[in-house]
Amino acid sequence: MTTLTHSSMLGRLPILIFVAWRNIWRNPVRSTLTISALASGLIMVILYASLLEGMSRQMVHFATDISTSHMQLHRQAFIDDQDLYATLPWSYMEKIKQDFPGLNISPRLYAAGLASSATTSTGVLIKAVDPKSEPEVTQMLQHVRHGKLDLGIADTTASGFTRYNLVIGAQLAKNMKVNPGDELVLVTQAADGSIGNALYRIAAVLKPLEPNFDRMGVLMSIKAYQQLMYLNEGFHELAIKVNELEQLEDIQAAVMNRMNQLTRAKPLDELGGQPVVRNWRQLSPAVADLLELSKSFVFIIGFIIISLASLGMLNTMLMAVHERTHEFGILLAIGMKRRWLLLMVLFESFFLALVSALVGSLIGLVINDYFEEYGIDFSQSMPDGYDWAGMIFEPIMKGHLLASDLFYACIMMIFITVLASLIPSWRIVRLKPAEVMR
Amino acid sequence: MALLTLKGIGKRYRQGELEVNALSDIDLEVKEGEFAALVGPSGSGKTTLLNIIGGLDASSEGTTHLNGIDISGLKEAQLSNFRLFQLGFVFQSYNLVPVLSALENVELVMVLQGRHKNESRQRAQHYLELVGLKNVMQRRPSALSGGQQQRVAVARALAAGPRLVLADEPTANLDSENATALLDIMHTLSHEEKTTFIFSTHDPRVMDRAERIITLQDGKIVSDELHEHEH
Repeated sequence: MTTLTHSSMLGRLPILIFVAWRNIWRNPVRSTLTISALASGLIMVILYASLLEGMSRQMVHFATDISTSHMQLHRQAFIDDQDLYATLPWSYMEKIKQDFPGLNISPRLYAAGLASSATTSTGVLIKAVDPKSEPEVTQMLQHVRHGKLDLGIADTTASGFTRYNLVIGAQLAKNMKVNPGDELVLVTQAADGSIGNALYRIAAVLKPLEPNFDRMGVLMSIKAYQQLMYLNEGFHELAIKVNELEQLEDIQAAVMNRMNQLTRAKPLDELGGQPVVRNWRQLSPAVADLLELSKSFVFIIGFIIISLASLGMLNTMLMAVHERTHEFGILLAIGMKRRWLLLMVLFESFFLALVSALVGSLIGLVINDYFEEYGIDFSQSMPDGYDWAGMIFEPIMKGHLLASDLFYACIMMIFITVLASLIPSWRIVRLKPAEVMR
Repeated sequence: MALLTLKGIGKRYRQGELEVNALSDIDLEVKEGEFAALVGPSGSGKTTLLNIIGGLDASSEGTTHLNGIDISGLKEAQLSNFRLFQLGFVFQSYNLVPVLSALENVELVMVLQGRHKNESRQRAQHYLELVGLKNVMQRRPSALSGGQQQRVAVARALAAGPRLVLADEPTANLDSENATALLDIMHTLSHEEKTTFIFSTHDPRVMDRAERIITLQDGKIVSDELHEHEH
């Protein structure tokens, strides 16, 4: 007779797994219902994660591609007080262009003023850009709703004065009741202290991109700005776009280092402060925080949905353990160790969760494909998209599912459901075979 | 030398306010290869005694030695090992795992023992043939009659190579024909495999097959006789 004295767990795993797999199909209707509940929960989590990631991508798009770009260079006083005189010399821009040929850059200038149309006047924010280099750093100029994008010369008056074209925000155009082709007078305090004023022609109206610009924004060329403001020394802002977003922080540090070298070689005036390079997360901390928050949301909502769905699993396992008490007694009597039995029941939960994860992932991926392709269309009720947390979102909400989100959702579901089955499994640990077989 | 020795075994438990003496002063020796019946009316303590011998229940007093091992002092995990390697069990009903075939049910204990899969398969087939179930090995318990299920349980108990097989009312749910057939199989295998059998019963048909009849009444052994077997 073979002498056998040891009984390690590892060698018994195949039989425990085999019996567990058979056990989950013992009551096919109940198992199918449990799998359906868990898979439905997983599908909801997948779609939620996908739509939230789609929104996150829109947020990043909003934070970078619309007007901010990946980085911006300013002087500290401009950041603190929008100081009109806190400009950086044009030579700084040339140095960056020279030292970092891989970067796309575009200068900007700002001022506040008063705009008057034939019927009304309102305060405006004047933003000057270089129409040639701006499209290399943002898509701001591509979002024209009415008219034709043109920031060049509109015409020359009889007295020989050059009139420039302007582009304005949609809400501002609506408030001032102006359209492309109409005239607009801008009045402001120029850099030399004089009252700067000029007549412009509205070339185009931009779609709503940023709530502030939409309500108050007036866009003009840098030449037009310099003519209005008598400010030729430099620029307020340099938008910088990198090719590899992963290298953003390294490039930021390198540009900052170069700026420090330049200021050390030739110090700037003290009032304007030192140059500062900030990346889009620092420029739009609310967006960066929202992105972080959205990741937490996926986890929290996913946890709640899957926990609710796993109540079905808890019920199934409670029923299964209750119904099979006598059988467990027999198994304990013939020499099965309690930990093997416990493991077998946990394997049953694991298999139910695994099958649910497979079914849920497959169905979730199919529905997600539709969301990624067509999205949820709100354009009937919100043709210009919707404004949420200070950002304008596209009217079609599209999904974008990350493989990592799908993986973590499945792992979370399997973990929670196996954890839930520990409660009924605890009964097995306390089972007394002599009592249950009476 | 005795395979099983019980000395001064007593079992008391509380039932509400009452203390019930299920067993008291049980002294018993069973030699290797014996085919012994524990008989007595319901409530006489047969199942309790079998549970104590099988390590499924603890005695309140006394010692139980099987094959030189004092099982009264074994811990939970050691008791599981003891049952796995030293004992075979046949219960009154619902003996088998419903999701496994007859063959897989017999294999189960051997796989748990750590035997090689091929060895387990061969032994399982051999013992199922011995109990006359060669043609229904792949059937699940639900597709077997009560008598066939009990024969699978006997095959499972013996295939694992135990020193002692404990059977608690193995024929209680069987008709006369199946009951005597099962007892004949158990008796034959007991002799062929030189395995000790102790089974509880109050069925006179079963008692006739026993070589030794130990009678319990009110938790005490009132007689212990060798029985001349008719076959």
